[in-house]
Amino acid sequence: MNLKRRDFVPIAAAGLFASYAGVESWRKNARRLPGTSAVAIVKAAAYSDDLASRMLEGIRACGLDVKGQRVLLKPNLVEFDSATCINTDVSVVAAAYEVFKSLGASEVLIGEGPGHRRDTYAIAEMARYRGELSGFDDLFVDLNRDDVSPVEGFADRGRIYLPNTALRADLIVSLAKMKTHHWAGTTLSMKNYFGLVPGSVYGWPKNELHLVGIPTSIVELTRLFPRSFAIVDGIVGMEGNGPIQGTPKPVGVLVMGRDLPAVDATCCRIMGIDPGKIEYLQMADDQNLGHVDESRVEQRGEPIAAVRTNFQLIPAFHSLRLA
Amino acid sequence: MIHVAESYLGARLKALRRAQNPDGGWAYFPGKRSWLEPTVYAALALAGEPAADRAWSLLQGWQGADGSWRPSRDVAIENFGTALCVTLALSQNRSGGGVNKAVNWLLGTAGTESSWMNRLVTRTGIVELDRDLSLKGWPWKPGTSSWVEPTAHALVALKKVLALKKAAKLAPRAEMLETLRERVRMGEAQLLDVRCTDGGWNYGNRSVRKVDLPAYPETTGIALVGLQGHSGLGPSLDYAAREAAQTRSPLGRAWLTIALRLHDASVPSPSSSSTTPPPDLQILALEALAAPEGNFKAFETPVVSEGVRG
Repeated sequence: MNLKRRDFVPIAAAGLFASYAGVESWRKNARRLPGTSAVAIVKAAAYSDDLASRMLEGIRACGLDVKGQRVLLKPNLVEFDSATCINTDVSVVAAAYEVFKSLGASEVLIGEGPGHRRDTYAIAEMARYRGELSGFDDLFVDLNRDDVSPVEGFADRGRIYLPNTALRADLIVSLAKMKTHHWAGTTLSMKNYFGLVPGSVYGWPKNELHLVGIPTSIVELTRLFPRSFAIVDGIVGMEGNGPIQGTPKPVGVLVMGRDLPAVDATCCRIMGIDPGKIEYLQMADDQNLGHVDESRVEQRGEPIAAVRTNFQLIPAFHSLRLA
Repeated sequence: MIHVAESYLGARLKALRRAQNPDGGWAYFPGKRSWLEPTVYAALALAGEPAADRAWSLLQGWQGADGSWRPSRDVAIENFGTALCVTLALSQNRSGGGVNKAVNWLLGTAGTESSWMNRLVTRTGIVELDRDLSLKGWPWKPGTSSWVEPTAHALVALKKVLALKKAAKLAPRAEMLETLRERVRMGEAQLLDVRCTDGGWNYGNRSVRKVDLPAYPETTGIALVGLQGHSGLGPSLDYAAREAAQTRSPLGRAWLTIALRLHDASVPSPSSSSTTPPPDLQILALEALAAPEGNFKAFETPVVSEGVRG
């Protein structure tokens, strides 16, 4: 084969690129988060099941100790539409309250700051939280209108104001809903932290987070609250045009773990979505916030294959489908 | 001894007086720190009382050198509440440098979506927005897009300023008057542009990915307050009357009632049995304002809209 001088240019360029990619890959692996993360999948066919027992089983499988801790339960309470299932079901919140009290937490509060609606208590009432959670008004904090403190180091904005109730908690439990999301692809335990940002400072919607970038904001909020645990309500999730206008999707699982990216990656696999194509999970992986790679997630309880059920995706997200 | 039942309004005003913080402000919830929003609404509800003067004294200390207000002592961010403070100041017949600076801040603040760069990008078709970017509204905080609630509150404040200027109380300069009229015209047009297909308003997106979104009661009420004097609001007032009767949101009901009263429309009685009121001082103040004998006229902007259109 006769190589002319001009043939060397693309060959050299390809060689340089391959070397660069190799070095980058080696660097990434070298600084990768060590070890594995436990994620528990427990089956719960209906909200009428003994959810507290199932939850306890999952929490124990993940080795969480909350004795003496101040725990904030952060459900996904967004809007209310009786025709679908937007919010974390009240039975899941009630079970979590009972479980964390029984595990010896010194305080268990419930807090949320919806992104669109201002009357949080009215949404809580429509979602049956006020009626079915005994003493709800004393346990609940509207995080949109809590007193706040500044925290430094949020993306390119530097400072962000966050609710004091969230900042003083020893553990935040992201009680998320398993849903598709028309901008982010999915909304799970990490995206649920948008509700920690106070509307009284940033408005309704919390437009600042969109301008920073939805994936970046999701990752940054996860980074700012490292003392977290996730319990994703996948008993009935939402598919299609989520997170508000999608359709109910029965899955029959609760997914739990201390590593939020690992929990969300597992949920994606259950939903038939490739976590490698969800931008915020890739960013979390790159920044070593948790394990996204399946080989680094130690699955406890049910195997993914036993509960996987493909969620319908809007056309813009067909490419997210897991092979 | 005969006990006379306390009136709906009387009970709320009494609770508000009791809930005032020692610094003169009100928190969103009892026992918390003072915030601008509940302080303004409580001061409007208690108009003419010493409590309202103490509230203004506190708020004056929260105004920045640029004329904007911060949302609370603890938060150093310019905030939409500047419009609420202008409304409060004018309802208390206050004028002067602070109010003028706040009006100038409002005139110089607009949602980022109307920037030339955003308009250019939208024209290329790279980004599709269901919104007319040639219109200007107001953001919750500078550097973000404009939304229904801050836009409606800015409209109320600026229309009040226009009414005052007509009475020559604030010595208008001709070019400022023109800017005021233009911003009011653009703000009203933007509110109408983002109206939902059901006739009401949500936070400010009538659709996402070409799927219609529903309106909310509270934002519909606030938008209608901002659009006083505008014609062509029939479907919106129908939505408001319907929702005022059936909504389970006390906040929504309060704003819809204020709006319907200001539009001289009849206010339906709530059809659902009332539930336990939440421990929410902002809602308490708005319910007091919305009462038949309440000070809902603090948001009134009667003659100005005609002037703006004329």
